[in-house]
Amino acid sequence: MGTLLLVGTRKGLFLLRSDDERREWELEGPLLTGWSVFHATQDPRDGDLYVAGNNFVYGGTVQRSSDLGQTWKRSEGLGLPEDTGLELAEVWHVEPGHPSEPDTLWLGATPGALFRSDDRGETWEAVRGLVQHKTRERWEPGAGGMCCHSIQIDPGDPKRMYAAISAAGAFRTEDGGATWAPANTGVAADFLPDPFPEVGQCVHKLLLHPERPDRVWQQNHCGVYRSDDRGETWERLEGNGLPSGFGFPLALHPRNPDVAFVIPEEGAENRVTPDGRLGVYRTDDGGKSWRLLEDGLPIPAWGSVMREGFASDSRDPAGIYFGTQSGSVFVSATEGEQWQEVARQLPPILSVEVGEWS
Amino acid sequence: MVVVRLPALLAEQAGGQREFDVDAATVGDALRALPVSDLLLDERGNLRRLVNVYVDGEDAREAEGLQTALSGAQEVRVIAAVAGG
Repeated sequence: MGTLLLVGTRKGLFLLRSDDERREWELEGPLLTGWSVFHATQDPRDGDLYVAGNNFVYGGTVQRSSDLGQTWKRSEGLGLPEDTGLELAEVWHVEPGHPSEPDTLWLGATPGALFRSDDRGETWEAVRGLVQHKTRERWEPGAGGMCCHSIQIDPGDPKRMYAAISAAGAFRTEDGGATWAPANTGVAADFLPDPFPEVGQCVHKLLLHPERPDRVWQQNHCGVYRSDDRGETWERLEGNGLPSGFGFPLALHPRNPDVAFVIPEEGAENRVTPDGRLGVYRTDDGGKSWRLLEDGLPIPAWGSVMREGFASDSRDPAGIYFGTQSGSVFVSATEGEQWQEVARQLPPILSVEVGEWS
Repeated sequence: MVVVRLPALLAEQAGGQREFDVDAATVGDALRALPVSDLLLDERGNLRRLVNVYVDGEDAREAEGLQTALSGAQEVRVIAAVAGG
């Protein structure tokens, strides 16, 4: 099996193919030209590709390919029910469902919307328990327009899931999506009158650790956080080597639950990587301390990496990948210690995910 | 019978077909008969804001919108508004 990178850009989808070594890469694309690919992912259950693609004229769609991007099929009738009073704006994230539910996928969208498909993406139904959540009137749209960008399923329990929405916060369900509880205790919302409200936190990315699913990480507008109790309480993890708590993307090590990676930006008022360099920061102790990984990354550089622009694979050593708004893709086949630019001058990169090809 | 002509991006989403002969009484009927109707109309069935439709050269929005009658019309042309970057 070779390594496949799915690179979603503002102007279509690109694929990068390599072997297990992950040093030589072959670029293919653009596919789905005319579409802004907010997120592209490969379903590990059957190898199909899914794209959350938006066009400023024709709206948001989900596209599926069963032949690694040669042909695509668009979902039908995507939209929010009239009685919600909401209309679909953009689609942001496709998450394949639990292996025990092979036909199920989840889709995050604006405005603060989650959808479920039980026919491998042909049709989608709004998840009313979240879309019509009782706290919804307290959600505050951010620049991303209240996007639902993070959907995580507990590998040990398909009924337990997390969804995170910009400027609404993180939510957890224990019943497969029927009911959702806010999971924001200890997470700051410095931009609100009450800095620790029940909801309204601006989560930028949320991931659970596959080997230790009670451990959940988030990169927030107001800091980097870790929870060891399924999002019940959160600990803020900055200072200690991290130049800023502000950033968008987050990546985790596939096996070691103490290892995480972030790419901070200076702050909300200056959204560019700090210190004139493109730097990845890694913790090996669950966020107590962070160190800069810079070997092979450019200086000077004023970069930015979007919330979906960071990924890790499950090989050993783990590969870490990110794509920049300046159109470069960086790969580390050494868990972040050395980096290589494997593509440049692509359109602005919105998402990076890793999969397989044969 | 009226012919509906699509821009390239929509034709690609319609399986590569750029022109459709449809039997339709109104602009709305014609658009709903297309395999890309979901890209032209939103979830409420309204014409998307930046989609323009011309019936024999006349902007349907300045007529009756989706209710514009097609009796005697030859061509319905779908054009994306000039916008974006």
